Amino acid sequence: MSGANDLSVRIGQIKLKNPVMPASGTFGYGQEYESFIDLNQLGAVIVKGTTLKPRTGSFPRRSTETASGMLGSIGLQNVGVERFIKDKLPYFDNIDSCLIVNVGGHSIEEYIEVVDILSREKRVDALEINISCPNVAKGGMSFGTDPEIVRDLVTRVRDATDKTIIIKLTPMAKDLRPMAEICQQCGAQGVSLINAPLGMAIDIETRRSKLGRNITGGLVGPAIKPIALHMVWQVAQVVDIPIIGIGGISSAEDALEFIIAGATAIEIGTWNFVNPGIMIDVIEGIKNYLKSHAIQSVGELIGSFER
Amino acid sequence: MEYSILDTQCLGGPYYKLTLKIPPNDPIPSPGQFYTIRCSDGTSPLLRRPLSVHRISEGKDSFELEILYQAVGKGTQWLSGRKRGEGLDIIGPFGNGFILDPAVSESVIVAGGIGIAPLYALCDDLRTYNKDVNITIIWGVRNRTELFYETQCGEVGSLFIATDDGSHGFHGTANELLARMIKKNRVSVHAPVYACGPTAMLRGLGVMSETFDFACQVSLEEHMGCGFGACLSCAIPLKPESIQKNSRWPKQALQWSEDGNEVYSLVCKDGPVYDIREVNWDEWSK
Repeated sequence: MSGANDLSVRIGQIKLKNPVMPASGTFGYGQEYESFIDLNQLGAVIVKGTTLKPRTGSFPRRSTETASGMLGSIGLQNVGVERFIKDKLPYFDNIDSCLIVNVGGHSIEEYIEVVDILSREKRVDALEINISCPNVAKGGMSFGTDPEIVRDLVTRVRDATDKTIIIKLTPMAKDLRPMAEICQQCGAQGVSLINAPLGMAIDIETRRSKLGRNITGGLVGPAIKPIALHMVWQVAQVVDIPIIGIGGISSAEDALEFIIAGATAIEIGTWNFVNPGIMIDVIEGIKNYLKSHAIQSVGELIGSFER
Repeated sequence: MEYSILDTQCLGGPYYKLTLKIPPNDPIPSPGQFYTIRCSDGTSPLLRRPLSVHRISEGKDSFELEILYQAVGKGTQWLSGRKRGEGLDIIGPFGNGFILDPAVSESVIVAGGIGIAPLYALCDDLRTYNKDVNITIIWGVRNRTELFYETQCGEVGSLFIATDDGSHGFHGTANELLARMIKKNRVSVHAPVYACGPTAMLRGLGVMSETFDFACQVSLEEHMGCGFGACLSCAIPLKPESIQKNSRWPKQALQWSEDGNEVYSLVCKDGPVYDIREVNWDEWSK
């Protein structure tokens, strides 16, 4: 393949053919997008946050649009790990992109049990541990804001699996840098950031939340991009493990900003709803940028930010 | 997909009708299905807007898709400014449409406000199955200024109007008018009812469907992020004991609780049309 630009990147033991993948929770179990996009072209597919037991999730109303973004409270609705393996995993037998399963939980024990079960599945290439879900009462985000819990959780997840582990961090932590350092020390092979910060919107006629009984939700979409980019740049200065940039990416230009700030790969979330084919455009856009700037591989661009 | 605008027409007030050309190889939608349209060039509004099929007509060399909408927010206002000849970023059709029984000789349509939009195509289909079908359309609006489509409705069925303030037709709600017509034997309880409108209206209709024991299908709305089952935004609670599952309504997006006492369904994927008795109205509208 002489002359071709190398888009591949490594995270732990896995090699992604390019740095573009969907953010968990915006991509279902992959199959939802098959009429819009060839999943084989993606760096990886990251599926819905999976818990030990099935979960019905939050009450209605689960989402509301805000300026250049949306608030969401889905509450980790998912089929549970058992049905995931039985009904959703076989679909990936015919897809050659990496498969990353996002793992959620109520307690450290639940995370470990799910990690253990998924570790026995050959087709699962890596696990993204979600210690940052803004919409569950226990676990989720409350785990991701306490450094001692993060240390304990990551250590125990590391002991429970040989697969590549990525820790998904919450911007609700006071400072993401020590969190990312702890993840690295405890054996995580990557950190992904940011998950959704908490937000609110009020209907002034009813004086109730636009998310009904859920009251608050995670803010996603282009509105959070500058905050996410700043956090990726900060974290890139303190860890050596790969960072996966997430937050409001809607174009190749946005993705390149994250890569230059220090991200090895990126996840696209909300924009998949706006344009279900966006990830292919972003991959093409990155390729064209490398070509036009005479850069051999995307690796050369990672963290190339100039002060 | 990009569909070109054949016509855009203001029907008075904030009501608009958009006609799009369906390219030759694209699917022809069924009444009750919907499309999502990108209503912006930038990030505000951000999400695609779900809009139901109002009517499908056969044009010169292709099928035409009509969408009837009320310009109420930024997205629909942007849409109302689009002109003939422009292209629109549209995806669909999504969801499951109404289930029609070709054998019925009488059907009742109950619409609240812009809820008339998806029911019109249904009248066309009922007529295709049985040209002599008797269609009663009961259309409720708040007041006469919200009436914009009387002539067109009169063409597909016998139209009865209810206004909340009594400024036109029956003084009261569409549901009250329906109850009165049933009691006076002007509509049969054996006629299937098809409804679309505000949640409060449909919830009331749900109670009536049990009191009078009539069959009723409703087209529902809930906030959507994607429209195709990925974001899980549009989940609504159903009653576990009343779920209808069949080939036209496969209900592939049900999420049961572990104990089987609760079940959520995605309006975009399992709906937007449901049997009115499936919906857990109390839980949904809390």
